[in-house]
Amino acid sequence: MSVETATDLVLVMVILLDLGMLTVSRLATTVRFFALQSLLLAFLPLAAATFEGQAPGMHALVIAGGTITLKVVLIPTILLRIIRTGEIHREIEPFIGFTASVLLGAALVVVSFAITARLPVPREPVSNLIVPASLSTVLIGLLTLVSRLKAITQVVGFLILENGIFIFGLLLIEQTPLLVEMGILLDLFVGVFIMAIVVYHIRREFDHMDTHLLDELREA
Amino acid sequence: MTLTVLLLLAVPLLFGALCLVLPTSGLRLSALVAGSMTHLAVVIRSWTSVERVAADDLLGTDPLGHLMLTLISVLFAVTSVYFVGYHRKRLISQRVFLACMLGLLAALSMVCLSQHFGLLWVALEAASLAATPLIYFRLGARALEATWKFLLMNSVGVALALLGIFCVALSTTGVGEPVSLTVLELVRGAESLDPVWLRSGFLLALVGFGTKMGLAPLHSWKPDAYGEAPPPVAALLAGGMTLGAFVCILRVVQVCSAAGLAEFASFWLIAFGLFSIATAAVFVVGNNDYRRLAAYTSVEHMGVLVVGIGLGVAGSYASMLHAMHNMLNKGALFFLAGFLWRLHGTNRISLVRGTISRSPVAGVLLLGTLCATCGLPPFGMFFSELGIILAAASQGQWWVLALFVTTLAVVFVGVMTAMLPVVFGDPPQAESMIATTGTEPRWRRGVMLSAAAVLLGLGFGLGVYQPDSVRRALDEAAQSIARPQAQAIAALEQPEVHP
Amino acid sequence: MTVLRAIGAVPEAVAVLALPPMLLSIIAKTKAWFGGRDGPPWLQPYYDLMKLLRKGVVYSRTTTWVFRAGPIVNLAALLCAATLIPVFSDDTLLGFGGDVILIAYLLALGRMLTVLAAMDTGSSFEGMGASREVTFGTMSEPALFLSFVVLALATKSLSLAEMLGAPLQAAWGDVAPAMLLVVAALLIVLLTETCRVPVDDPATHLELTMIHEVMVLDHSGPDFAYITYAAALKFLLLGSILVHAALPHASWALWIDAPLRVVELAVLAMLVGVIESSLARLRLQRVSLLLAGAFVLSGLAAVLTFYRTHA
Repeated sequence: MSVETATDLVLVMVILLDLGMLTVSRLATTVRFFALQSLLLAFLPLAAATFEGQAPGMHALVIAGGTITLKVVLIPTILLRIIRTGEIHREIEPFIGFTASVLLGAALVVVSFAITARLPVPREPVSNLIVPASLSTVLIGLLTLVSRLKAITQVVGFLILENGIFIFGLLLIEQTPLLVEMGILLDLFVGVFIMAIVVYHIRREFDHMDTHLLDELREA
Repeated sequence: MTLTVLLLLAVPLLFGALCLVLPTSGLRLSALVAGSMTHLAVVIRSWTSVERVAADDLLGTDPLGHLMLTLISVLFAVTSVYFVGYHRKRLISQRVFLACMLGLLAALSMVCLSQHFGLLWVALEAASLAATPLIYFRLGARALEATWKFLLMNSVGVALALLGIFCVALSTTGVGEPVSLTVLELVRGAESLDPVWLRSGFLLALVGFGTKMGLAPLHSWKPDAYGEAPPPVAALLAGGMTLGAFVCILRVVQVCSAAGLAEFASFWLIAFGLFSIATAAVFVVGNNDYRRLAAYTSVEHMGVLVVGIGLGVAGSYASMLHAMHNMLNKGALFFLAGFLWRLHGTNRISLVRGTISRSPVAGVLLLGTLCATCGLPPFGMFFSELGIILAAASQGQWWVLALFVTTLAVVFVGVMTAMLPVVFGDPPQAESMIATTGTEPRWRRGVMLSAAAVLLGLGFGLGVYQPDSVRRALDEAAQSIARPQAQAIAALEQPEVHP
Repeated sequence: MTVLRAIGAVPEAVAVLALPPMLLSIIAKTKAWFGGRDGPPWLQPYYDLMKLLRKGVVYSRTTTWVFRAGPIVNLAALLCAATLIPVFSDDTLLGFGGDVILIAYLLALGRMLTVLAAMDTGSSFEGMGASREVTFGTMSEPALFLSFVVLALATKSLSLAEMLGAPLQAAWGDVAPAMLLVVAALLIVLLTETCRVPVDDPATHLELTMIHEVMVLDHSGPDFAYITYAAALKFLLLGSILVHAALPHASWALWIDAPLRVVELAVLAMLVGVIESSLARLRLQRVSLLLAGAFVLSGLAAVLTFYRTHA
């Protein structure tokens, strides 16, 4: 199997996982889907380097390693721990029903393919699915953010969004200094860590993690 | 990287670390003040020997960043003094809080100094992460809600901005060899950038950084966060962090205008700006919470800043002037809001009456600040808003002008009808609140009011008389938005002409 | 069509007609093995059909001709479809350009008559079954159609024999991910249309949870034999489409191709048996999610194929 086909397959899997995350009803499963998606993504920088005709260099290896450490191991561990300790209602209560949100998600995928068709990539990338896969992931992340009420699902939505941006970054892998990439990953991790702390406090304060009860502040 | 740049980042971080380890509250507070004062001193000293960015610097001072850095530094210095007066021992953890405050200063300095788009993003995200614990200062459900909204909306917004930066980066890949993502390199190769990707990048960055700046329609975290955060933190966010996000937008604008997309950028800047002012106008009228009211005036002023950038060099100059006065004004406004909170123990406008008779100094200062907020002469915002009106007129953008003036008038009426009774009005008969607040030591009040007075005085002074140096700094910054890095590029081209 | 092919069609047609109950038997045997039993004899479905055909018919007085027409029209529609779908070889008896649409409508016609016959009895149970059948049908049909669209896009043809023939092999090389998605979607459609486990449980004894079985409670004798046989035939036809789409080996010699297809169909039947044994039935609300999933899978495949071939 050539690098291109493998990358295509990985990206299609990524899109399917996006849609899959809209269907599952357990918080823990969503987090595991996210971890699986990140694992798939960690493979992509290596593929991009191979496509350029060279062995995966330091840069690609560090990014892949950083992604696995943070997004596959650390962040899911933190989130799963929060879900496990204390939360009684581990089911997602969506604002938009499961079937409707899957269909909506599929529509967003179509939209991102349509947008991509109008945005020609200047240089031939390793797979021409990169841009549509990235856009769909970003859009589905946003959909998760607005359509789910649990604080944890909102964090996951943000993480999906971030994964979409990560895919997009593959087009620019040789342009961004390693320092900056590491900064981005670190910021993401600290961000999620702080979010986890806030979620913990929300739970202690309200006895659950629904954000729709966070509506005290508004115009009187 | 020069020593100055290094110092600007290292000083706050060092003092922040000190705050974490020092044993007593007093020592920690003095570390805070010393840290921000040292930072201010370094900034002021950097103006005496200005060195501009070289070709492949990731960090460096250019006219725009230098100006914003100075504004932010001044605000932090005054706020640290105010905080000494405001501070009480009801913090999540004073060590963490003070360290985060200095961390915010370091992150914002880095935003102003970053010449590389990736680094710029990292710094801004670090700033919002440092600010999060500051908002969760008072604990409890309401603060938690504000913190969550702030954190989530800002993270998402900034993530979109990252996508925008990637789009800008992608527009360079058609050129041939990879171009580094520094402002200088992008501006030099601006002609060969792919316009489609640059446009998408600009829009995403405007929306993303605009969220952080508090432009409508993504401003909804702002009243919550400013209303719940302690007033000095709200002052830092409204006068400092918004400027950081503004710098980020301006960096993208610089690239766009170098690539000949100035008209496209202007259209969207003006659209977002006017929409923000209009939104603020809607929410200011009839608002019954003076801190949320102040937050909406911040939304309004962000709109004014952005509209100015969309109106050419004259507008940009007015916008820079506005940025300066916005910093001074938001600082004073939130300082006084904090004072009112201490005096009356409530946020509700309908319960706060007759400040001028209970504390004449505070009343006068509040009246002055309100006049400054609404852009009455001789305060600086009058001149900046007038500059924007003139710029719109000279460009023949009559619709913009009409909308701008109308919405500003609505905000003026809204703020004044709400706040004048707070200043004058009859003090409530039931003076039970006095008992809770009267015990405040006099020196605390003095510190708080004098901090506000310094900022208000600066605003008044710079409105009445503008020294040449200030004028030159503002002008250079404004020029650099339309023709970014002119000096540096000229310096780079020079050797090729005369070998 | 050559004379030789015409002669060859006779044994092929006989095989197509004879095979369906055998597939049911394979599924039953697989499930029995999973349950640690021996299961019914291999020819049990054939015995059942013979028994039913010998029996008399009972018609309720409240029913009309629609009730009698239901099973017959359903079987006739599927037999017509059988002439258009390649089963053992890669060409069909009566294929023509655009026959996919006819196939989809023949399946829909069969379903419509079954549903009408069920409602004709006036029984509340059957009405409920009919309502579920139609609900799920409205979601599985778009998925089937979209899968056809993908195949048509990938092979640039509208005749099912060609869509599943030689051009498909090239398409697997070009858009492998899309083809995988289509196969997954077709599998879900197959399970839904033939009332298999994640959607419906053919072995259940509780009318409230049935979908297909509850619709045919009032049919008896030969009518019920037609219905049972038609269900098996439907499994064979949809299974053939799935097998052809998943493993295109066109232009192989017929003597190796045809037996291979039989083996593949048998494997598919075993796979369905395994799925039935290892999965539990989904809650009714989740079924619509599964079908939406099939729709989304085939839709995604369509987008991918379109994107690849046009951009």
